[in-house]
Amino acid sequence: MLTMKNINKVFKTDLVETHALRDFNLEVKEGEFVAVTGPSGSGKTTFLNIAGLLEGFTNGEYHLDDVNISNLSDNKAAAIRNEKIGFIFQGFNLIPDLNLAENVEVPLRYRGFNAKERQRRVKAALEQVGLGARMKHLPSQLSGGQQQRVAIARALAGEPRFLLADEPTGNLDSLMARQVMELLEEINKAGTTIIMVTHDPELARRAQRNIQIVDGQVCDFTLYQGGQSHLVDTAEKVAS
Amino acid sequence: MLNIKPIFSSLLRSKSGPVLLLVQIILSVAIVANASFIIHERLEMMQRGSGIAEEEVLTFNVFNFDPSIDIDQQNKIDQQILRGLPNVQAATSTNMLPLSGSGWSSTLNLGPDPETAKSTPQYAMYLGTEHTIKTLGLKLIEGRNFYADEINKSVNDPGKLMIISKALAETVWPDESAIGKLLYIDDEQLEVIGVVEKFQGAWVDSDDLEYSVIHNVDFAGYTYMVRAEVGQHKALQDAITKALMKENPNRVIDDFQSVAEVKKLSYRDHELMITVLSMMVVLLLLITSLGLTGMVMFNIQRRTKQIGTRRALGATKGDILSLFLVENYLICLSGGVLGASLAVVLGQQLMKYYDLPQLNLLYPAMTVVGMMLVTTVAVVLPARRAANISPAMATRSV
Amino acid sequence: MFLYYVDLAWRSIRKTPILSLLMVLAISVGIGITITTLNVYSMMAYNPAGERSEQLNAIQFWSQGPDTWDDFHRLITYQDAMNLRKGKVAPAQAAMFRSGMAVQTDDPEVLPRLQGIRVTDGDFFKMFEVPFVYGNRWDKAVDLDPAYQAVIGEKLNQKLFGGENSVGKTIYLNRKPYQVVGVIGDWNPQPKYYDPTSGAFSRSEQIFLPFSLTANEEFSVWGNSSGWKHEPMNNYQDRLNSEKVWLEFWTFLPTSEDRAAYKSYLANYVEQQKELGRFTDNKSPVDSVLMSDVAGWLERSHVVPEDNKILVGLSALFLSVCLVNILGLMLTKFLKRAPEVGVRRAIGASRGQIFSQYMVEVGVIGLFGGLVGLLWAWGALYALSARFGVSEGLTHLSMSMWLITPTIAVGTALLAGLYPAWVVCRTKPSVYLKSQ
Repeated sequence: MLTMKNINKVFKTDLVETHALRDFNLEVKEGEFVAVTGPSGSGKTTFLNIAGLLEGFTNGEYHLDDVNISNLSDNKAAAIRNEKIGFIFQGFNLIPDLNLAENVEVPLRYRGFNAKERQRRVKAALEQVGLGARMKHLPSQLSGGQQQRVAIARALAGEPRFLLADEPTGNLDSLMARQVMELLEEINKAGTTIIMVTHDPELARRAQRNIQIVDGQVCDFTLYQGGQSHLVDTAEKVAS
Repeated sequence: MLNIKPIFSSLLRSKSGPVLLLVQIILSVAIVANASFIIHERLEMMQRGSGIAEEEVLTFNVFNFDPSIDIDQQNKIDQQILRGLPNVQAATSTNMLPLSGSGWSSTLNLGPDPETAKSTPQYAMYLGTEHTIKTLGLKLIEGRNFYADEINKSVNDPGKLMIISKALAETVWPDESAIGKLLYIDDEQLEVIGVVEKFQGAWVDSDDLEYSVIHNVDFAGYTYMVRAEVGQHKALQDAITKALMKENPNRVIDDFQSVAEVKKLSYRDHELMITVLSMMVVLLLLITSLGLTGMVMFNIQRRTKQIGTRRALGATKGDILSLFLVENYLICLSGGVLGASLAVVLGQQLMKYYDLPQLNLLYPAMTVVGMMLVTTVAVVLPARRAANISPAMATRSV
Repeated sequence: MFLYYVDLAWRSIRKTPILSLLMVLAISVGIGITITTLNVYSMMAYNPAGERSEQLNAIQFWSQGPDTWDDFHRLITYQDAMNLRKGKVAPAQAAMFRSGMAVQTDDPEVLPRLQGIRVTDGDFFKMFEVPFVYGNRWDKAVDLDPAYQAVIGEKLNQKLFGGENSVGKTIYLNRKPYQVVGVIGDWNPQPKYYDPTSGAFSRSEQIFLPFSLTANEEFSVWGNSSGWKHEPMNNYQDRLNSEKVWLEFWTFLPTSEDRAAYKSYLANYVEQQKELGRFTDNKSPVDSVLMSDVAGWLERSHVVPEDNKILVGLSALFLSVCLVNILGLMLTKFLKRAPEVGVRRAIGASRGQIFSQYMVEVGVIGLFGGLVGLLWAWGALYALSARFGVSEGLTHLSMSMWLITPTIAVGTALLAGLYPAWVVCRTKPSVYLKSQ
């Protein structure tokens, strides 16, 4: 599903050259839930930006869903982001002037769906995150956890193959963080591949696979043995 | 303490905002300098004296339509009637009205041989009587007025005399008195017997406006001029109409207006130009100051944290204020200098294509000074808010 | 998608009302000034002849002696006009000048009134497409064999005859009877292109008389007479025989062949005159004639004063200041919204979509600015006509301005928005996503 081979990313200024990623290799399979950890400045965000087609890379090879990402035009990249990728950010990044329904609708607008289809998907997505009754509220009227759930709904509305989360629980208290995490697990269970950057080892441990980036390179990855059963546990909790 | 160097380099780094402001100031200075120059030039033009008691001279037309009327005879009688009316100080018939934009003009030769003689500039050719000077309130500074028995019936009669304006006298005979001098139409002579201090012609836009001649011809036309106190004009109109209609009803009497009104009408286009240009200058300054204010507000917002930090490091409110002032003075001054040069170029273009005099450098200079004042006001108001930013902002994350 | 952008634009405008108001104000003031000067200019520069512009040609001669006038005079002499009338080469032609007389009717109640009169040939009405309400032009024979006939205007007909069909009735001009043969409808071309010398924006005359009467009736001349040499003028006959110029001469020449043929006819004519001792300047016969079509004639007559051109130029500069001003404000406003753009880009909006969104917003602001600007212009024109008595023909906001104004306004705004929208659409999506 996602293959990165020898990816390098170099930032250049007049004085210094910074290697954010060096010979970065990674393969993520369909349906996986991958947690990415690492110290700050290690290249986590750069990796996520490249994976999410928000940024280009200096050299290497990147295939997403069998599409070669190198040398993709800006428009093409935007289209892939729109159709295949959903983003969840630490700061939620909802558009403050738009109400919940309108926020969730944004990617659907750019996809060119008609009004009826947009309405159906917005409703379904908001109901999935448990905010179906608050469609007309503005983001500022919600708690942080609720806002993040809206952001997740927005990411889900386009029915992406692939969810990228950047410290999704970083701005939330532990209770809300758990709710959001459970929601992500549920989504993953339904078949969506998720890559999540976090510095919280507790959360990372709940993913199927854990990657650590140090100095722009994949340092170590472990498949948690207990991952499978843990997930079942969580699913039961949500159901109850 | 004004640290210009760091301010300047920070300006260079933030690019588009200051550049836009600079462009705006350049254009504004160029426009305002030229516009205010044109305004001033037109105002000066309108304030020129005509040498005439403009307010007091009432003019009107009498149009005789009965073919049986002896026009010349009727004209004599009418002039007598006018002079006999109460409150009338003087009256005469004329071939043209001063400052009216229409009339007669001509040139004369300085010698009898048209092939070799130089000629006078184009002058306004008034045909008048011994009453003309008094009626118009002209000031005779040399020589004498016409005597009643010197007034001819036609421009072709012999015994041609002239009273000329000082401007014409000095142009034709720069170093000597014009009295007794002769001018020629082919080999016919015209003698200068008097000089009036100032007497403008009919065409206010002409370079030859100051050149006028009164010939000793009672032109039996239909235009009359009457001098009376301003307050009497209204009553006089009725009195004139009544008296002249009583004498002979087969005519139309109308177009009563004072020379001041005639003049106003002639300068109307210039007044219009002044009004529109003034409007432009005021609006332009307003818009530029709004742009400045907006830009300063934006800068303050963007640099709230930086200002807080400066305050925390010990900058006084005055320091912050002067930071913004110096920054914008720099933009304004460089824009002003460039704008002034552009103004000069624009002025040259206007001069080339249109009949405009060369731009006086005083105007761009004054515009730059004015722009600095506008800048001060436009910057100080929002910058006071910046100075009030608490030093605590430095530690707060935005 | 367009409607979505309009919706977003409207939200954004409402969210920053003061900044938006400033922008609308800046555009509207620029537009107001520009449209005001442009309106007056376009009214002055209007060519009322339309597609007949090239077919109507005014004839001018270099009849002056050497070292006198240094340009063609717009008027010609009586002798030249009479010779051209006799020559009759053009399919239609008319000599003309302005005069004036006191008008009376058989009704003693009607007070005598002074009226401007156009003395011209019968072809005038055909050439300048003058509409008739009653009757028609005088007979062609009258142009050769004078008759006391007159064509009057609808307005005068209203005053003298209460608006009824007055054909056959008598009017008295300076006490002499003339028979009305036609009444023309409301006809008042602005600028008054057939004779801009006596006020390019003055009203058309209400009385028209046969030119053939001129010598008999010695009509006074209410226009310019100019001479380049001294000639004694003791009577009207002197005027007719003189080299003084005081007449306009118009020809109707439908095709370019007609015009070329007429030009060589004129050159030929000048050659004959040179043999007779006139046209003494050292200029070839072909160079001594000038045919100006209506557009060229209006240009030569300086119908548009220089001041107006200066004003249009300055107001265009003014508009560009406003443009730079809104460019700055727009940049400020758009850059503040960069984070939102980052989100939209991440979610899959292409650069083109972001660019379009912001251009629509700018366009909406421009449209508002244009509408307000139209109000300014309307007010300014109204004030000008009230304060300065500028001819109504010039201060009337022309219909085309209702279309031109929003176009210029939106165009200006889009131009100003181009750079800010470009900057904002180039926003790197990744930069603003990480919150601090």
